[in-house]
Amino acid sequence: MRRIFDYKTLIPRWIAVLLAVPFIILPLFTTNLATLSMIILSGIWAIAAMGFTLILRTGQFSLGQAAFMAIGGYTSAILTVKLGWPFWPSFLLAGVVAGIIAMVIGSVVLRVGGVYFSIITLALGEVIRIVAMQWEPVTRGSRGLITGPPDPIPLGVFEINFAVSAVPYYYFMIVLVAVTGVIFWQIGRSRLGGTFFSIAANPILAEHQGIHLMKYRVIAFTIAGVFTGFAGSYYAHFLSTMTPYMLGLWESIQIMIMSIVGGVSSLVGGPLAGALVLYALGIYLSRLPVYGIQQLLFGTAVVAVLLFMPKGTGLVDLWDKFWRKVFREPEFYEIPSVE
Amino acid sequence: MKRWYNIATMVVITVMVLGVAWAPRPAHAEEPSIIKIGVPTAMSGPAAAWGQAGKAAYETWVEVFNKAGGFRVGDKTYHFQVIHVDDKNSPEGGAAAAKQLIYGEKVKFLAGHWTWNFPAIAAVSNPAKVIFMTRTGNEAVPGGVYNPKKMPYVVFANPSHEQFTSDCLAITKAFPKYKKIGILDCTLGKGIGWDYVDAALDKEGVRYHHEWFPVGTQDFAPYITRFAEAGCDIVYVAGWIGEAMAFAKQRWEMGYKDMRVGHSGPFITPLAYLGVCGKEAAQGFIGQYWACWDFKVTKVKRTYVKMCKEVMEILSEKQGKPFVYTGWIGWLPSHLLILSQAMEKAGTVDDPDAIMEAIRGGTFETTTGTWTMSGAETYGSPIVFGCPSALSTIKGDKEVYLSEYPMKPLP
Amino acid sequence: MPPAGIWIDGLIQSCIYMTMAFGMVLVFSILGILNWTHGQFYMLGAFVVYYAFTAVGIPFPVAMLIAGVVVGGLGMLVEKLIIERVNIPSAQGALYVTVATMALIFFFEGAASMLFGMQEKGLAMVFPGVLDLGSLSVSYQKIAVIIFTLIIMTAMYIMLNRTKVGLAIRAAAQEPDAARLYGISVKRTSLLVMGIGCALAAMAGSIMAPVYAINPFIGRIPMIMSLLAIIIGGLGSLTGAIVGGIILGFVNSVVAYRLSYFSEVVLFAFVIVLLLVRPQGLFGTPLK
Repeated sequence: MRRIFDYKTLIPRWIAVLLAVPFIILPLFTTNLATLSMIILSGIWAIAAMGFTLILRTGQFSLGQAAFMAIGGYTSAILTVKLGWPFWPSFLLAGVVAGIIAMVIGSVVLRVGGVYFSIITLALGEVIRIVAMQWEPVTRGSRGLITGPPDPIPLGVFEINFAVSAVPYYYFMIVLVAVTGVIFWQIGRSRLGGTFFSIAANPILAEHQGIHLMKYRVIAFTIAGVFTGFAGSYYAHFLSTMTPYMLGLWESIQIMIMSIVGGVSSLVGGPLAGALVLYALGIYLSRLPVYGIQQLLFGTAVVAVLLFMPKGTGLVDLWDKFWRKVFREPEFYEIPSVE
Repeated sequence: MKRWYNIATMVVITVMVLGVAWAPRPAHAEEPSIIKIGVPTAMSGPAAAWGQAGKAAYETWVEVFNKAGGFRVGDKTYHFQVIHVDDKNSPEGGAAAAKQLIYGEKVKFLAGHWTWNFPAIAAVSNPAKVIFMTRTGNEAVPGGVYNPKKMPYVVFANPSHEQFTSDCLAITKAFPKYKKIGILDCTLGKGIGWDYVDAALDKEGVRYHHEWFPVGTQDFAPYITRFAEAGCDIVYVAGWIGEAMAFAKQRWEMGYKDMRVGHSGPFITPLAYLGVCGKEAAQGFIGQYWACWDFKVTKVKRTYVKMCKEVMEILSEKQGKPFVYTGWIGWLPSHLLILSQAMEKAGTVDDPDAIMEAIRGGTFETTTGTWTMSGAETYGSPIVFGCPSALSTIKGDKEVYLSEYPMKPLP
Repeated sequence: MPPAGIWIDGLIQSCIYMTMAFGMVLVFSILGILNWTHGQFYMLGAFVVYYAFTAVGIPFPVAMLIAGVVVGGLGMLVEKLIIERVNIPSAQGALYVTVATMALIFFFEGAASMLFGMQEKGLAMVFPGVLDLGSLSVSYQKIAVIIFTLIIMTAMYIMLNRTKVGLAIRAAAQEPDAARLYGISVKRTSLLVMGIGCALAAMAGSIMAPVYAINPFIGRIPMIMSLLAIIIGGLGSLTGAIVGGIILGFVNSVVAYRLSYFSEVVLFAFVIVLLLVRPQGLFGTPLK
């Protein structure tokens, strides 16, 4: 007999939504810039990590995602600073430009698989950084660009003014993460998402079934590019600066680590968990007076998660395990990952 | 009779004890108020050696300064307290450090900053009306990225690119027969600041040649060869210690023993250079000199010289061997002296606008001489001038004064 | 025509990239993984040799061997404790190993910063002096690098082609199942190879320690360079590693001499083009 409500999936979902509530009402309790900005930046990295996970779902491993953040950041910075555009159109265009560049690069580069693709993305990331540094007339080279806050949004009598406090930034970030999350979640559940799986799982079989491999790889790469571009643009405007050295190889590695530690089985929850935990960890570690310990403990934490979590899972799967224990489901659970 | 006597004694003693316990404390020697200063600086990563070397010295200097009476505004005495936070030499780290200092530690001033993340920190400090004392550089060169209208609470208390010009002039003073100065910088530092330096050098008739190396370079043979082919007999590295040491060592081994090498940064200790470059290759290595008691041209207030010497003694004792690093002298101590003198002039420690008003165009006594801030007419915002470029060189295993070129105050 | 000094510089760079790349490829051919911590073993080798030589007073060549053994042992530990456990037999295995070894980069840099401090250290007193060849001079340290590389490469050749251990390694790399049938423990051989690969990196770091300076971050660039070298030479090919290292070393020096800081762009652009046109490099097996 079929249950009308599958409480086993419904309750965890509702609790997940409830978990979002403290984040939404946080600014009512504290407008401490240090706390708010920690969460804002975690959100930005989480979006980039979601992009990485999406690309990973098609079996590709990109070490250049920070470069797409840089593309998005530079696009909106150049548009607002040099051409005087208002923030919102520049922000949208940043995502579009990053997506287009992702599509172009992807069509050329995604033919190559596996580790070669990773190295190419690594090299491309470096090339983009060098171009940003050399192209003085447009990017002002090493000096970088100083961006301004987004323009105030009039809402009837009110005005949401970004220049005054971080709270508007915070809520915009929540909206951005929510929108990205919902879109990615839907992709994951849709036929498109299923196709991504099959490509990663067994490319030869997928090809025989008539799936055009490159088309789907490029689609995933482009979508990731668009949202990573948005993340980059927001990053540049939040820090109010955009320089070539902000988003390089080590930031791409950070994105990758956040995604994997969070758990690749989930397109949205994984990156969010990974980014929040690792970023908060990083901030608290950097307050320790012993220098060098931050890197040491960070590396240890990541390796520990990889060692002690069951093979192939990340932090977000703890959530799954917990609920199965609550409902006393058998320990068997499928890792919907590339096998 | 004796019983009353005893009771009376006990009552008197009790009253005395209670009286002392409950009496209001007389306002004796007012407890000085503490002004917290935040120092966002590189404590990790490749540039950390400077940040870490400065930390102990800054904390000790503040102790000495406070012990000497701090400073007075109105009828209150004030002491400083410095709080260091690692800014990782990156915009994100800098913004986080600034936020932690301003909103976590509640500092009202940021000072002693020299890392490469000026815009990110200024974006946090200006809206909070926290006065930010830093150095000029590519990002902060006036007419470049810096905008005095949008960033009213910034003080360029060390002029780095302007000082670099003076460094080159100090070199020409020390080696009047030089043919060409080679200037080596990392690609990180490429930008409009160098255009200012080049224009100033052209005006003074200095002959020079630029080269740039990518981050992380350890092999300088190509650059040494290029400098040699361009006819440079002195190569000055703009602010990278490890790279300058590598350059000095490699040029010696390649046979260019007459090519003098230096860097625009203070020596942490000459022994490190002897260890990395080799005793012979390190001889004659040029660095910035901040030991104000050795200056020939610049006059420094005697009290400040004494204070700095006291700090060196305290630190030598603490670490069991001589503390020879002097680079800290021209940075945070000068910043704090400018700040305290401005607060005295403005008559307030709480009004950032009044303090900034007092700084602009003002003249201040610092640990490395008398400095004048540019006024509203020039640059639009305070940049310090008069800070001498003093150079030293390695002789044997010691750092020895070489030459000096004070910067002229602007109108 | 670049002057002789540039060619000698290129030779030194080639020697180091060659040695590093060789170690990396050895590990790749048996374990099938790219060890991103390879550069950190280079850095650790330099530190071990520094302390062995200055603090304990061990003569330099012995100190180098000690560095090789110690860091090689450390590499084996890393393999046993971390890599083996993380390397699940699927496409994801490579991913997790990559993340783990990248996390270890942070771990070792942090540990080195804490233990040894971030200040530059030097070993200029080892093999001091310069050989004067007329218009050109070469430091004895650089000559030592060349001699070291020759010795090491010869040793590797002999070991791989003339000894039983080498035979076991080659068998395990090419046909693991057949090797098992012959009684070769692929697991133990893999562990040994990891030790050898990391020891190579450590000794490269040791011999270079007097030439450049020592600080916790010197491992980053050699890591990237040896990666590029094995890409050029072809993943999985030992000859490719050697040839790739030679090409990379000379190209780097000559291009830097001609184009100064543009050498970075040239190098990366070249690698991108190579990977698009001929991903298997010069000597690798072509992809399907």
